[in-house]
Amino acid sequence: MNAGRKTKSLIVGCAALLAAVSVGALAAADAQAATLRYATIGEPPSLDVQMGTATLATTIGQNMFETLYAFDSTGAPQPMLAESETVSEDGKTIVITLREGVPFHNGQTMTAEDVAASLSRWKEFGARGKTLNAASIEATGDNEVTITLAEVNGAWKSLLAFPNGGPVIYPADIVTAAGGEPIKPDNYVGTGPYKFVEWRPNRHVELEKFDDYASRSEPADGSAGAREATIDTLQFVPVGDVSTRVSGVQAGDYDYAEYISGDLYGILKDDPAIAPHISNAPIFGLMFMNSKEGILAGNYKLRQAVLAALNMTEALQISVGDEELFSAEGSIFPEGNVWYSKAGTENYNQNDPEKAKSLAEEAGYKGEPIRLLVSTNYQQHFDQANVFKQQLARAGINVELNVTDWATLLKERGEPQSWDMFMTHHGPSPDPVLLTFMNASYPGWWTSEERNADLAKLVGTSDLAERQEAWATTQALVYEQIPAVKVGDVFSFDIGSPQLKTTWDRAPAFPYFWGATK
Amino acid sequence: MWGYILKRTAAALATLVAASVLIFIFIHLIPGEPAAVMLGDAATPDQVAALRTRLGLDEPLFVQYFYWAGSALQGDLGRSIFFDEPVTSVIADGAQTSILLASITMVWVVLIGVPVGVIAAMRRGSWLDQGLSGLAMLLASIPTFWVGLYLILVFAAQLGWLPSSGYPSIFEEGGLANLRYLILPSLALATPNAALILRLTRASMLDVSKEDYVRTARAKGISPRQVTLRHILRNALLVVVSAFGFTFAALISEAVVTETVFALPGIGRTVVQSILRRDYPVIQGVILVIVCLYLVLNLLVDISYRFLDPRVELE
Repeated sequence: MNAGRKTKSLIVGCAALLAAVSVGALAAADAQAATLRYATIGEPPSLDVQMGTATLATTIGQNMFETLYAFDSTGAPQPMLAESETVSEDGKTIVITLREGVPFHNGQTMTAEDVAASLSRWKEFGARGKTLNAASIEATGDNEVTITLAEVNGAWKSLLAFPNGGPVIYPADIVTAAGGEPIKPDNYVGTGPYKFVEWRPNRHVELEKFDDYASRSEPADGSAGAREATIDTLQFVPVGDVSTRVSGVQAGDYDYAEYISGDLYGILKDDPAIAPHISNAPIFGLMFMNSKEGILAGNYKLRQAVLAALNMTEALQISVGDEELFSAEGSIFPEGNVWYSKAGTENYNQNDPEKAKSLAEEAGYKGEPIRLLVSTNYQQHFDQANVFKQQLARAGINVELNVTDWATLLKERGEPQSWDMFMTHHGPSPDPVLLTFMNASYPGWWTSEERNADLAKLVGTSDLAERQEAWATTQALVYEQIPAVKVGDVFSFDIGSPQLKTTWDRAPAFPYFWGATK
Repeated sequence: MWGYILKRTAAALATLVAASVLIFIFIHLIPGEPAAVMLGDAATPDQVAALRTRLGLDEPLFVQYFYWAGSALQGDLGRSIFFDEPVTSVIADGAQTSILLASITMVWVVLIGVPVGVIAAMRRGSWLDQGLSGLAMLLASIPTFWVGLYLILVFAAQLGWLPSSGYPSIFEEGGLANLRYLILPSLALATPNAALILRLTRASMLDVSKEDYVRTARAKGISPRQVTLRHILRNALLVVVSAFGFTFAALISEAVVTETVFALPGIGRTVVQSILRRDYPVIQGVILVIVCLYLVLNLLVDISYRFLDPRVELE
């Protein structure tokens, strides 16, 4: 073969390859029209949402799995797979009537046995199952389940509605076989508007429309009411780098991207290629204090000194950036929420180093190092810890940062001898009993006579007004005994394609896309 | 000869056992554990402890090692704690992407680095040579992730010519068209390496051009083009080609950053994510495979010396 023929063959070969690439690209573009591609911050640990509280698992899982109740736009639980319920006078026996004719993705129809088995597994092994405090859960009719509580639990309906680590309903044979083990992808069978297709590690999780989905007839309201899978396929793609997530939406490769850095908000909010979605459900930073061991254990005066020294506005400005994305709010629950309260919040955001010095002196503090455990995986935690260290230094309080990665922090915070304070954050919670610092076994281990008495009042009634009053008293105690310091409300910032039309304007805690068009 | 091969193989196996112990110990010495990462922030210590038990992570370390090593001997590297998939599948899937990415990158490196290096050498001292050498220095010193982000910004976000990230395999729907997902990452990865090959080609060309046989060729009246292509370039390429091997191996490790920026399901990104999640079986599996590869390659190189140069004594 001479040089001319070689060159010709090379050109023809390259042209053929280019043609193949172009034709394939056009076909791929057509397929994309019916698919919503969601760029996630990473890979979820498991989509068996009963067993874990990872936000991403809930965001994906809520499309496949449903709970007996779901929250409406005001945060009130409304029936989803449940039809109605009756509660006994003593508040301990709850009889739930189920909807009839609800199909699972595998073709079976949901029965009371499925619901009882799912709730029982969640009660035994679920991430939040113990919070219900159920003595027994039984199928007491074809479409009736009876929950008997060991103690009155005013939060029962919220607990059954919360999808994060919550009691989603699977077929009985699947939960029975799984027991305490996470359910494997082959058995991701639920009743939701989307069904599981495949999970390819490091590539995507794919769901497709469930044609036989039995929707509720009420109009959609928050997560409650009718759900319609208007987009054929949902693909959740792990894209770890935030710049790539942004460019991907600008390029049209992704329709939605989560957790965009706050410092990009000013640049992106006016970009015509992007529709910003600020969350309507703030997450809030928490600096936990060790109630079991160390210098802060039982020393409420010293904790109050720490709180008095802190300037939350400054910490939020530095760690979050744009003022539209944070609120220096002392109430644990945001304004507009049924649990919103100003009780105790006069002690929030004091920025008073002199008062802090005086309180520290009263507490007998002599400049001993206070160990603050923080991870670099969450930039906001790290920034806030650095700001707090400096603010506390101005009040004569000596903070030593122990900087690790998140996996190490999770390990070390379980060892009470290893730390005095640690940084974390808290997602939106539907009920005060689900707040991590209210859980005496969560690292921090807050328990006191006053706390236990307040908690008993909080769960001892189903009456909302009484529960709100009990929570206000508890929140005031939180600002007195300070199991954890609330840093402030942070509204996460997601972005989407301007063509994507969702049923919500501000992003919910777990963005969902039934009813969306693109 | 056979005695030598047996001895070297035994030494390689001993190294492998020592390496496997070290890998296992060092990985488990890192604080943190997969159970806590998997269960999420709201998990209580009791729940974490229960999952540790289910995953077999509460067994003594040496027991865990023998389970793992015993299975590895039978070709089973265990299951990923995070993905609940065989580690061999996770490695194979990641390696497919990484090797393809490195191969395409090498094509860019050769297509850009060698010809431009030749042009620079042929125009030694000219403004073109100085410009190209300066540009090569600049490109070699720019971090790959920065190049990657700008390529995405220009060719994906602004012009919309190529996808910004991800990579569906060429063996799936889309077929060869999916190669377009690797164009920008391979260009980003090729940039510093092409610059280095350019400089190496230029330097090697200049060295060879001073050789006596080049002067003789010129004296014989052979055309400058023929002298450059047949006498200088062919000999200069010996040095450059030997650098390709190192470059290709380095690309696999350099690809970690590129794979992260472009969200590619490669082996580098898998390892980094597995370290963050404390997915011990995947980390151990990947490192063990890499150690095996190095040992086998070294063994083959040692043995090949005897064939390449009979003067080498095998002691």
